[in-house]
Amino acid sequence: MVGQYDENLLSDMLPIYYTKFFPQNVFCRWLSCGSSPQPLANRELSFTLADDVYLRYLSISNQKELQTLFQKKCPHKLDIGAVYNTKPSIARHDSVVLARELVFDIDLTDYDEVRTCCQEAKVCQKCWKFMVVACEILDKALKDDFGFQSILWVFSGRRGIHCWVSDYEARTLDSPGRGAVADYLCLIMGGENQSKKVHLGSDNLHTSIRRALNIIDKYFEEILQDQEFFATADGLKGLLKLIPDEALRTQVEKKLEKLPESSLERWKHFVNVYEGYCRENGFAMRKIKYLVEEIKIQYCYPRLDVNVTKGFNHLLKSPFSIHPKTGKVSIVFKPNNARRMKLDEVPTIHSLLDDSAADSAQHQNNMKTSVKNFQEVVFSLEKSEAMRRKTDANISIDF
Amino acid sequence: MDLNIRRKSTRAPVTGSLIETYPHDLQMYKIPPTENISLQEFETLALERLTLLRSLATATTLKGLRAYSDEWKEYVISDLRNQGLKYYSKLFEISRCGATEADLQARRKDHIAHFILRLAYCRNEELRRWFVARELELFKMRFINMSGDAVETFFKLNNLCYNNISEEEKTEIITFLRESTSHPNIENMKFYKVKFFEVLDLVKLRKVFLSGGYAYIPHKDFVSVLSAQFRTHLRQSLAVACHHLGEIEQDERLVCLLKGLHQSYTGNNYADTKAVVPIESLDSLSVKSFPLCMRQLHDQLRLAHHLKHGGRLQYGLFMKGIGVTLEDSLRFWREEFTKIMDLDKFEKQYAYNVRYNYGKEGSKKNYSPFSCLRIINETVGPGDCHGCPYRHCDVSNLKNKLQGYGLDPQAVNDIVDVTKKGHYQVACSKYFDAVHSIDLGLGINHPNQFFEESQKLIKGEIKVEIKKENKATVKKEALEEMDFDEISEWN
Ligand code: SF4
Ligand SMILES: [Zn+2]
Repeated sequence: MVGQYDENLLSDMLPIYYTKFFPQNVFCRWLSCGSSPQPLANRELSFTLADDVYLRYLSISNQKELQTLFQKKCPHKLDIGAVYNTKPSIARHDSVVLARELVFDIDLTDYDEVRTCCQEAKVCQKCWKFMVVACEILDKALKDDFGFQSILWVFSGRRGIHCWVSDYEARTLDSPGRGAVADYLCLIMGGENQSKKVHLGSDNLHTSIRRALNIIDKYFEEILQDQEFFATADGLKGLLKLIPDEALRTQVEKKLEKLPESSLERWKHFVNVYEGYCRENGFAMRKIKYLVEEIKIQYCYPRLDVNVTKGFNHLLKSPFSIHPKTGKVSIVFKPNNARRMKLDEVPTIHSLLDDSAADSAQHQNNMKTSVKNFQEVVFSLEKSEAMRRKTDANISIDF
Repeated sequence: MDLNIRRKSTRAPVTGSLIETYPHDLQMYKIPPTENISLQEFETLALERLTLLRSLATATTLKGLRAYSDEWKEYVISDLRNQGLKYYSKLFEISRCGATEADLQARRKDHIAHFILRLAYCRNEELRRWFVARELELFKMRFINMSGDAVETFFKLNNLCYNNISEEEKTEIITFLRESTSHPNIENMKFYKVKFFEVLDLVKLRKVFLSGGYAYIPHKDFVSVLSAQFRTHLRQSLAVACHHLGEIEQDERLVCLLKGLHQSYTGNNYADTKAVVPIESLDSLSVKSFPLCMRQLHDQLRLAHHLKHGGRLQYGLFMKGIGVTLEDSLRFWREEFTKIMDLDKFEKQYAYNVRYNYGKEGSKKNYSPFSCLRIINETVGPGDCHGCPYRHCDVSNLKNKLQGYGLDPQAVNDIVDVTKKGHYQVACSKYFDAVHSIDLGLGINHPNQFFEESQKLIKGEIKVEIKKENKATVKKEALEEMDFDEISEWN
């Protein structure tokens, strides 16, 4: 359990964890495939050690070297970088980044302006639902729209999720390409100084947005009740700020103030007032044509850290590393299982190493499942890599 | 003088008449010119092209016109005419495959001038970005304005062949096409299937239907495919050109010309500055001499004792540009950040960033402060305070802020009005005038320029400066116009 976890013990536990639990073999295979046609050794790994010393440009050629490196350095944090044209440790000055998984990072702190259950580093089962929605929407878009298949979903160990796309086309996508994919998927835009962060215009809604809205609708009322977005005076103000049309805003305000605090009730009445208003004022429609959709998106759509996706060589925490603050394992999960995932059932290094811990058995089990999930993704990646190489060979023969 | 800077394999046909070399108004500039030209013509062509690109830049960034809109196009055409660049205004207006002598000469000049500017603009990333952006606008506009038969010839000449999808396939996905394509009457259009990364600009704006990694586009959207190819090719060529600069720049006169060319337009990049500004004066400087984007970051930092990454970068580089030393900068950030964290954490997590901005860490580049263009195009996420406030603030928020600063209500309204129309840099210029109680109407394109102009004004230098600048440009234009007179006789 988290309560028993002591950061100071990490240096003693990590060597055992890396040897006994870390899926070194699958990990190396995943990275090799994701580096091909470059050798595994051209991939950058970086370690953060116990005393915060930060080592960049490390690399390994095989599993044995990984094990040795783990034992020698005992990294408290393990990050994965890009694939270079040479071994990253040598000739750093003329090295070029050739490939890198397309990655996504979603962090619950970016939901602080909407979530009411927790703030900052805290997370609970209620706010985890935001991640469930995010994962489902992104996974679908990556598969259906972009045709990607090798998609790995990883719990970050504390308050977010990461997604790694290893398809050849994704790995070799250049910076503008990554930027475009990120922008395509990013609907919430704007900083501290903008209240309304979603603008859908008045044309037809793009297929991908419609699909995302269908997914949000499956969860919206549930999340609304969990979070009680509009129950407090502040929450209500937040909603009103999103209504650009003054007359409508006043109507809504009058109506909702009088209602009991239930957000669901207030929401339903808001939608009613909105629909009535639209019926009466057809002319005002353009600006607020998709107001309801915009609000749903602002409260529930994935909030991507687009800079992570756009950057070609952003370092990102490795799957199965241990989060130094929580001791939790960055487990791999299946997107369609995200819903059933319980945060306190995520294995911790402590419960894995200590058989007598209360939740040890369950954690061991979940660890196994997670490794299996990882294997599945890696197997299918290996298969498609083999196919790709075969077709490539055929094409060059044709010439 | 030999212009060729190409790799060995792409040797151009040297022989052949102009009509063989230039069959079409629109070129992809795949093959560099190989003829010899006089230094004088070289210079003229360069300046003319620069005028053309500058006119595009003015239309887009200073006038705030929507690229490719009718107003935008009209502005550029009339500007080109006023400057005496008839052949460019013609090429810009419509692309055909005519064969008169004037057509051919115009194409030849277009071709050579494009390659000359590659040499002037390949030197660093900032310049390349500017050049590629302008050339791309030009290319797109010309592609959009191609006459029907010219389109076909263009595809043939450039060996572009694509197959459209079958009627059955189209019927199957017609609802999605309707939802996701931004053209009316798609029922009558043929659709083509290309990989999504060939039309990134459409993907970015969600203006195309994607399925399984393919984008479904009508004929009209081929401009995206081609401009993407054009951009990639141009970027690569600029990188190659940069490597070969040494060979070309053996001629001293050329060196001066090429270097002077970009300075005459883009001005300072503010990466190296001579002035020294003590951090104690930042509070007072921020009131008058900081543009709003920087003032807001400064205020936020004083208030919250923290800025997120984007803010640290934008403000940190600006500070460097106005003349805050590295030591002062470290002290400044440290003093603020340690109000909410311990020193150790600051040194470990943030000091690196500050030194990085000054080129003392990481790749050790001497980074330039961001220009308005860059800042306006920044992605600003939850919790971020950077970016350009005219672009990234709610109007009501902006209004409150300006009122809070005690600006004259009329001025506040003016600023808000142009902001609403999307003319961010014009708004910035109005803000400049308001805080200085003056009516200058400067074109602001860099926060550090804002700062310097303000300092000049405060120190009483501006009058002299403005006159000097005006004179200088007038003279230059007179010169250019003379050249044009000579040239227009050929047309
Ligand atoms: S226009 Fe430029 S200088 Fe002015 S606020 Fe925006 S980014 Fe800053
Ligand atoms: Zn919570």
